[in-house]
Amino acid sequence: MTALLIVEGVAILLLAVLVVGLLRSHAEILRALHELGVRPDGDESQSASALRPRPRLGTEAPADIAGTTPAGSTVHIGVTGTDSRTLLAFLSTGCSSCLPLWESLQSEDPVTGLADTRLVVVTKGPEAESPSRLQQLAPRDATVVQATAAWDSYGVPVTPYFVLVEGATGDIVGEGSASTWAQVGSLILQATGDRDVGASGGELRADHELRRAGIGPGHPTLYPGNSSPERDEK
Amino acid sequence: MRIAAHGFEVDVPRGWDGEIYRRPGGLKPLGGPAEHTGAVVHLGNFPLPNSRGDYGSGAVEVMGPDGIFLSLFEFGPGSVGKALFRAEGLPTVTPEDFAPHTMQRPLPGQSGAQYFFSMRGRPFCLYVALGTHARRRQLVPEINQVLGSVSLSDT
Repeated sequence: MTALLIVEGVAILLLAVLVVGLLRSHAEILRALHELGVRPDGDESQSASALRPRPRLGTEAPADIAGTTPAGSTVHIGVTGTDSRTLLAFLSTGCSSCLPLWESLQSEDPVTGLADTRLVVVTKGPEAESPSRLQQLAPRDATVVQATAAWDSYGVPVTPYFVLVEGATGDIVGEGSASTWAQVGSLILQATGDRDVGASGGELRADHELRRAGIGPGHPTLYPGNSSPERDEK
Repeated sequence: MRIAAHGFEVDVPRGWDGEIYRRPGGLKPLGGPAEHTGAVVHLGNFPLPNSRGDYGSGAVEVMGPDGIFLSLFEFGPGSVGKALFRAEGLPTVTPEDFAPHTMQRPLPGQSGAQYFFSMRGRPFCLYVALGTHARRRQLVPEINQVLGSVSLSDT
């Protein structure tokens, strides 16, 4: 009888440890999803507001993309060292959340109205995607590249995923997950808006500090070698 | 980044777009051999639009003042051995080769140059378009650097 009680006690203890482990694992998954901006409750309004640009400015240079097109061409897409911004949309043929995005692409261009922004859809290579499905889904007018290496180099954590790259500097202006192009547009506007505010704020702060120190436009210390604009004009 | 297809290999400079494709064939004649379609290499230092012609129509129109567009176009077997393709190997481009009227469709300020030659027994045309004729001396070294990276194997 005592032995039976001991065995039962040990079994209960093991089960308790198992339950605690499962709860902890579940909490970690939820936390990871939350950090990525994904809301498990499926509330789109909350999901959109949870989208945040995650700038990776100056950390690692994003790469140009080389791969194949659904039609079989071999392509290289210049992402950095260009004058334009590139919105990389990492989509898949097998991802159910991607389907509405693919379908919308047939009738709308999500970057219309965004100056100097180019949309490039990046799927994984032919080894990981259905070629026939991709031919059905890929719009004729959109740039679609199959490049598994790009998913690795950009560290894509979930699908769908979007990365906005500033071509001139090679900075990643913003990145995140979204389930509609409207959310992507919101993400882009927020990312570019934050960046513009940051840039102008920096200039204003610098001007303010210079003015406080008594240095204004035309001040001699701004022109090393005593070549002020007035002197140059003479 | 180096891309390769249809026997071609080329180093595409950072920020450039490039594509290597084979032109789609026509209908196969009953009982006859499949139509041979040549390879085409497109390179540009600007985002190449998806819809464009083999000689860059649709792309040169959106090219900026410092734009460069290259098309390496393979002709069919019927052109092998023709006098037009007697020159061997990829040409070296010079600023003097460019003229506004060499454009497939003349566009204000732009200019183009065209070369016919053979590589490994395959007949080619190299067509180069510049965004600004006046900037040809600055742009030509970049073109030759890219062309210097092109190689063609027998496959």
